[in-house]
Amino acid sequence: MTAPLPKMARNLAALAAGVSAALFSGAALANPVAELGLGLPRDVSVEGHRIDWLIKVTMGFVVILFVIMCIWMALAVFKHDEKHVAEYDHGNAKHQIRFAAGLSGLIFFVVDGNLWLNATMDLSSAFWNFSGAEAKPDAVRIEINAHQWAWDARYAGPDGKFNTKDDIVTLNDIRIPEGTQVILELASTDVIHSFYLPNFRMKQDAMPGMINHMLFEARKGQVGEYDIGCAQHCGTNHYKMKGRLTVMSKEDYARWAAEASANGARVYSEDDAGSHWGWDWKQN
Amino acid sequence: MDIQPIHAPPTSFLRRYIFSTDHKVIAKQFVWAGLVFLAFGGMLAMAIRWQWAYPGAEVPAVGRLLMPRSGGVITPGTYQSIFTMHGLIMIFFAITPLLIGAFGNYCIPLMIGARDMAFPWLNAASFWTFMLSQLLVIVSFTVQLGTAAAGWTTYPPLSTNVGTPGMGQTLVVAAVFVTGVATIMGGVNYVTTVIRFRAPGMTYMRMPLTVWGLWLTAILNVLFVPVLGSAALLLLLDRSFGTQFFIAGAAGGKGDPILFQHLFWIFGHPEVYILILPAWGIVSDLLSFFARKPAYWYKGSVYAMSAVTVLSAVVYGHHMFLTGMNPLLGQGFMLLTLIISVPAEVLFLNWLHTLWKGSIRLPSPMLFALGVVFVFGLGGLTGVFLGTISTDLYLHDTMFVVGHFHFTMAAASFLASFAALYYWFPKMWGRQMNETLAKLHFWGSVVGITLVFGGQMVAGYSGQQRRLYDPYQYTFLSHLHELNKWTSFAAFALGLVQITFVANFFYSVFAGKKAEKNPWKVGTLEWETESPPPYHNFDVIPLVVRGPHEYSNPEVTKLLGRDWLSQTETLPEATSSTGSVAPEAIGAE
Repeated sequence: MTAPLPKMARNLAALAAGVSAALFSGAALANPVAELGLGLPRDVSVEGHRIDWLIKVTMGFVVILFVIMCIWMALAVFKHDEKHVAEYDHGNAKHQIRFAAGLSGLIFFVVDGNLWLNATMDLSSAFWNFSGAEAKPDAVRIEINAHQWAWDARYAGPDGKFNTKDDIVTLNDIRIPEGTQVILELASTDVIHSFYLPNFRMKQDAMPGMINHMLFEARKGQVGEYDIGCAQHCGTNHYKMKGRLTVMSKEDYARWAAEASANGARVYSEDDAGSHWGWDWKQN
Repeated sequence: MDIQPIHAPPTSFLRRYIFSTDHKVIAKQFVWAGLVFLAFGGMLAMAIRWQWAYPGAEVPAVGRLLMPRSGGVITPGTYQSIFTMHGLIMIFFAITPLLIGAFGNYCIPLMIGARDMAFPWLNAASFWTFMLSQLLVIVSFTVQLGTAAAGWTTYPPLSTNVGTPGMGQTLVVAAVFVTGVATIMGGVNYVTTVIRFRAPGMTYMRMPLTVWGLWLTAILNVLFVPVLGSAALLLLLDRSFGTQFFIAGAAGGKGDPILFQHLFWIFGHPEVYILILPAWGIVSDLLSFFARKPAYWYKGSVYAMSAVTVLSAVVYGHHMFLTGMNPLLGQGFMLLTLIISVPAEVLFLNWLHTLWKGSIRLPSPMLFALGVVFVFGLGGLTGVFLGTISTDLYLHDTMFVVGHFHFTMAAASFLASFAALYYWFPKMWGRQMNETLAKLHFWGSVVGITLVFGGQMVAGYSGQQRRLYDPYQYTFLSHLHELNKWTSFAAFALGLVQITFVANFFYSVFAGKKAEKNPWKVGTLEWETESPPPYHNFDVIPLVVRGPHEYSNPEVTKLLGRDWLSQTETLPEATSSTGSVAPEAIGAE
C-alpha cells in the first residue's frame, strides 16, 4: 500500500481524471472519421453547428459529472468497506444542507442554464425564426405532403403561387440551392410522419390536418446528395420512407427549376384533382 | 378504535392462495405475473436485436415455429408488432406489476406496521383485473392481422383503423384501459393505507424512503392513469364505433391527432416517474442499510422526490417539441423540464454522501442498488439533451432517446426490482437466495445493460431513427451495421445471464436455505416479524419511536454491542457518561 494521499491531492486527482475524460470524449465526438466513424453525421447546414456545439459542450459537462460520480462511488466502496467504522451522520446539519442544495443549484445554473440560454437564443435567431426567414428575398419555399410511405414536394414555380400550372412537383426528390434559406411547409395525408434531415440537424413532424414549418439552409460549397428520413413510426414500410435531398449550385438549381417547371406545365391537367394537393402558403 | 382486528387465516386452498385478500399473497402473485411477462417482453427484445444484427435473416431455432408463413423471417409487419408489444408489455405488464404491484403490496403494510391494506378486497380485485388485462394481451397475439403495431405510444391516426386495422390493436388498447383500472384500484389502496394505517409513532418523516417512493407513485397513478384511460377510451371509440376524435387528413374527420398526444403524455411523463420513484426510494434505503450509515439528509430526499412528483405533471410537453407546438409553450416546457434536474441532483448527492465514510457491505441487493445509481446516472444525465429543444431537434425520435429511456425507465427500474427481490426474498419466502448466482446475475446484467443501451445511444447520436425495420436502407446509417450487431450480441448475452436469476429464483423459492428473521440486520418494521410473516403481519401493532435509518450510532454500539437499532426499540437506561442523552431522542425525528 502506498501512503494515503492528502485530501487535497486526492480531490485534485479526481478532478483531473474527470476533466481529462471529458476532454477525451469531447475530442472523440468532435472527430468522427467522415462517414465511417461513430459520431454526428457530417453537418452541411448553416446553423447546425449551434446544435453540435451545444451537444458537445453539454456532453463534456455530463461526462465530468458522471466520472466524478463513479470515482466517488468507487472510492467509497473500496476505502470504506466493512472494516471501516461508519461515521454516524444524518447529513442534516445546516452546512451540509447548504452544500447539497448549493452544489445542485450550481450544477443546474451551469449545465442547464447554458442549455436553456443557448437553446432559447438559437431557436429565436435561427431554428424557429420563421419571420426572419420569410423576410429573406431569395428564400426557397417548398410544400411537403407526406403519405405512407413517400414525400411529395411542391415548388410554386415562377408565378410564386402554389397549386398552379407552373408548379414543380416531385416525389422523394427535393432539390435546393446552396447558401439559400429554405422554408418548408409540412402536412400529411394519412398518419403522422416526421421529416428528418440528419446532415442539417433538423426534424419536424408532418401532421394530418395541420401545417407545420421547418427552416434550413445548406452551407455554400456543400453540393451533394443527402438522406431524407422519416423519424416517426408510420406503419409497415416506415423504414423505406426515405427521400433524397440534393444541394445544387445556384446556377444548376435555377436551370433545373426552370426546366422542371416547364415540364410540369406541359403535363398539367385541370381535371387531375389528385395532383392538386398543394395549399396557399401560410405565413407563420 | 381498532380498525385492524386480527382475522383467522382462511383455510381453503382457493381463498388462501388464489383469491386471497392477503397483501403478501397478492404481492407474490404480482411477482409471478410480472416475471412471466418480463421474460415475454425480453424475448421480444431479442427478436428486435436479431433483426438489427441480421436484417431479414431467418430467426434461429424458433423462427419457423412462430412465423411459419414467412419461413421464420421477421417481416416488416411482424417487426412493428414486436417493438410495439415489447414496449407495452415491459411498461404496463412487467415493470408496473413488479415494482408497484409486488413491492407496493408487500412493503407498504409491513413497513408502516399495518396488518393489511386498507381495502383488502379492492386489492384482490386490482390483481384479478390486472390478470384480465394480461389475458387480453395474450389473446391479441392470436387474432387475424396480429397484435398491436402502432408503437407503444399508440399515436393516432396510425393506431386507428386508418393505419392499423384488425382486432389485435383494439384488444391491446382495451388491455391498456383495463390495466389502468387495475392500477387505479391499487393506487387508491396504497394512498389510503399510507395515510390511515401507519402504526402509532410512524410519522411521515419516519417512513422508510421505500414507502415514500411507493406512496408518491401511487398518488401519481391515481391522478394520471385516468387520463390515459380517457385517451384509450376515446381511441377505442374511434376504432370500434366510428367516432373521429383523433382522425384528420385525407381519411376525413375533423379530429385532432395532437389531442391524443397531449392526453397520452400528461399521463406518459408522470409514468416515467411512476416507474422510477419506487426505485429511488428502494435505493435510498438500501444504500443506507448496507453502508451501515443513516440516509444522508433524509428530509432532502423526501423533498426531492416530492418535488419531482409535482414537476412531473408539468413537463410532458418535451415529448411534443416537434409536433408544431407554439414556440413559447415549448420554451416553457423546456425550462420546467430542466428544473427537474435540481431535485435529481439533490437525490444523487444524498446517495453519494450516504455511501461516503460508511462501512459498506456488498451483498447482492446492495450491488443492484449501486447498479441503479450507475445506470440512472447515465440515463438521467443524457436526459438534458432531450429536454432542450434545439438539441432535441436532432436527437428526437432517434435511438439516443431509446437508449436514454432504457437506462432510466428500464435499466434503473429493473435493477431496482431485482435489488428489492434479492433484499426482501428472505422475508417473502422465508428462504435465502444463492449469493454466488445473484452476484453473477448482477455483473452480467449491469455490464450487459451498459453495453446494450450505450450502443443504442451511440447509434442514435450517429443519427439512427427508432423503429426502423432495416436501418441500413439509409446511406447515412449503413456504416452502423457493425455497431448494431455488437450491441445485439451484448443483448443476447444480457438475455442469457437472466437464466442465472430464473434458476436461482425457482430453486430458492422451493429449496433455498431457511432465512432468519432479520438476515440483513436492518431496523425497519418488516424485519421485526417472522420470515415469512404471519397472516396478520404483527401480533401487536408496533410502536414506532424513530426513523428508519439508525446505523452506527456510537451510543448504541456502546450500549447494545451492535451497529443498528430498530424503529421500535427503546434503549436501556443510559450509563452515567451518556446520561445527558435521553434514550428516546436518539435518531428520533
